[in-house]
Amino acid sequence: MEAFSVEDRQAMCDTFSRLLQDMADEPKLRQLLITESGFDQSVWGKMSQLGLMGILIGPEHGGVGGSLVEVEALMEHAGAYLYGGPFISTCVIAPTILSACSDESLAEECLRAITEGSAIFSVAGCGSSGAWDLPPEVQAVFVDQSWLLTGTADFVSYAAVANQCLVYANVDGGKGVFLVDMNENGIALTPHNTDDATIRLSSMSLDAVVARQVAGVGEEVMEEALQVALVALAGEQVGAARRIFEITIEYLKTRHQFGQPIGSFQALKHIAADLLIELESASSAAQHAARAIAAGSDDRKLMSCLAGFTCADNYRKITADAIQLHGGIAYTMEHPAHLFWRRAQTGQWLYCSSDTLRDNYLAEMEKML
Amino acid sequence: MSDALREEVENWLQRHWDSDNLRAVDTEIYDEKRWLSEVVDAGYATPTWSKAWFGRELSQREARVIEKTFQKHRAPGWGKDRFSLGAITLYKMGSEALKAELLRELLIGPICCLLYSEPGAGSDLAGIRTRAVKDGDEFIINGQKVWTSNAQEAEYGMLLTRTDFDVPKHQGITFFIFPMKQEGVEVRPINQITRESEFNEVFISNARVSERYIIGDYNKGWKSFQAAIASERLIMGMGVTARSGMSSHSKAPALLRLAHKYDRLKEPALRQEIAQALAYRQLNSLTMQRAVEEIKTNGMSSLMSLGKLSMSRIQHGEARLSGTILGPRVLVNDTEDARHANFDAAKAYMNSIGGGTDQIQRNIIAERILGLPRSNDVDREIPFKEIKTGG
Repeated sequence: MEAFSVEDRQAMCDTFSRLLQDMADEPKLRQLLITESGFDQSVWGKMSQLGLMGILIGPEHGGVGGSLVEVEALMEHAGAYLYGGPFISTCVIAPTILSACSDESLAEECLRAITEGSAIFSVAGCGSSGAWDLPPEVQAVFVDQSWLLTGTADFVSYAAVANQCLVYANVDGGKGVFLVDMNENGIALTPHNTDDATIRLSSMSLDAVVARQVAGVGEEVMEEALQVALVALAGEQVGAARRIFEITIEYLKTRHQFGQPIGSFQALKHIAADLLIELESASSAAQHAARAIAAGSDDRKLMSCLAGFTCADNYRKITADAIQLHGGIAYTMEHPAHLFWRRAQTGQWLYCSSDTLRDNYLAEMEKML
Repeated sequence: MSDALREEVENWLQRHWDSDNLRAVDTEIYDEKRWLSEVVDAGYATPTWSKAWFGRELSQREARVIEKTFQKHRAPGWGKDRFSLGAITLYKMGSEALKAELLRELLIGPICCLLYSEPGAGSDLAGIRTRAVKDGDEFIINGQKVWTSNAQEAEYGMLLTRTDFDVPKHQGITFFIFPMKQEGVEVRPINQITRESEFNEVFISNARVSERYIIGDYNKGWKSFQAAIASERLIMGMGVTARSGMSSHSKAPALLRLAHKYDRLKEPALRQEIAQALAYRQLNSLTMQRAVEEIKTNGMSSLMSLGKLSMSRIQHGEARLSGTILGPRVLVNDTEDARHANFDAAKAYMNSIGGGTDQIQRNIIAERILGLPRSNDVDREIPFKEIKTGG
């Protein structure tokens, strides 16, 4: 039984899309890029009013009980507007981790705070490698009845605007996840000078920071959380790729040289045809992976890896060719193509590299041998 | 509605088809003509067609109910309104008189081949030069066709000819249904790059076809032909779907098994290439699934037309990688693996050239799906006889 009908999902996406159109179009995005936080509180507030914060959270915690299918669909719209903000960490990764928590009161407290719009989560899932599937570089120790975290997390998105952080840490020879209040003593954030200004990343050093354990959550749940994050990101990449592709096709129809639209030249239209395959492949992969995870299928890891590297790589390819197809006009900061292209590079490394995911995909395939 | 229909077809098949022995009830051997006659007359071969022409005027969805019920009983004869190219073309474009004369015959028996391509008219099919000259109430045909499958068995061919050399190339074409079994029609098999011979050349010298056998109108054959080729492309798209069917539940893909067999799965660079090749195949299969869903909901899907081009990258890529996995062993056709790799490498061109090259396919996708403007054809508006030829 799916919580959302096709019509409900469409209506929610349309509303979200209108919100982005009104409050986060390109001129607004460009204003946001030169702010320190890169975060628009008013958009976040509206998203919260629409109930989007609780998209993956059950009604018992105040959420709307959607699945990753709804998340993927929403992310396509977010991607089209190059939306940046702590949505994936707060509304996708954190609920996945917290829902697996065996401490019900901690789960209720956090999930409730997310649905009410009072909590913004960062997730510190990796160290300097940037890879969530490698061991973290934070150590948790239990001293005098409390957990203390020490070490470094890196590529933490929107840590500066978050008030809560889930930190992946080594503990007792295993792995665990810990909840940290961002106002605790001992946290030092260093914002990165990212080439892609549409996403904010920080390195985060922790020196004996007091934390609460997210009981029952270890390596396995983190792996599930990574899959979910990858598919949300994949949806965003599909939406963004579709947008820049549409902009490019429109330009091929209107830009004239040699007395004809440049889109009549086969050298360009053949590239466009090939890009359509890459775009629809990415779309198929993201949607299918979302359904596989929502249904708890056995092949969900395979499908999330496939969606992960396909959407990341195809988005980058589509944006790179979009610049080339435009010619000189896109070799400027004024044109939006570079915003998409730079964001696409972020996607190739966020959470996990495309090459790692490709290798993991093959490893999943090898299980069939 | 569909339940009632299913029950009706079930009952009909119970009375007419012996699914244990795969023949009509009360017969000793399977007699194709006789069985197909029964199916055609019952309206199950072409259910979407009009009642005047062996149809039931049913929707595509209802037609699928009939097809599925036939398939369940392993009874042949279903789907002639989707797969029987000659009959479909005749039904769509033929005159009432021609349909009355030939349509039933085409549905119940004779293979119909496609006499389209010529040595000088491949991608540019409207450049055909096979000549049809009027002689009384007949036409005399001279020319050469190529890439014709089933030409030896076929009793009829869908023949594209030039009937006017003084007008631009799309305007002087006439489309015939052409009797193959006559003097002046010579069929020669082609030795293909794969060492197979699926296709033939057809040499036509002073053969004849009745004026009544024109499909559509005289000199307006290009339009009739477009209707015919649309059916063919749809069938190729479906073929692509069938061949690429690899669910994640099926056993390991062949390329992966080959890499495993030759212990090449430990090399990181090669792993990347193998993974990407498997991904391309799986992605196309997922996109074709989406296309099928879209067709169910909307009756059409532009995604279907991406399948053939995608398949070229898949097939060429997998064949090349098979060679890489084998290493120098691929040079010697003593092993089955080497033979397969070499065969597949050659066969991949069947997809990337046949039925419209990848380059033509890209034009079609760019123009018809993305709406990009047509390229300038320098020969589009000038009389056919003035068009430069070469090669």
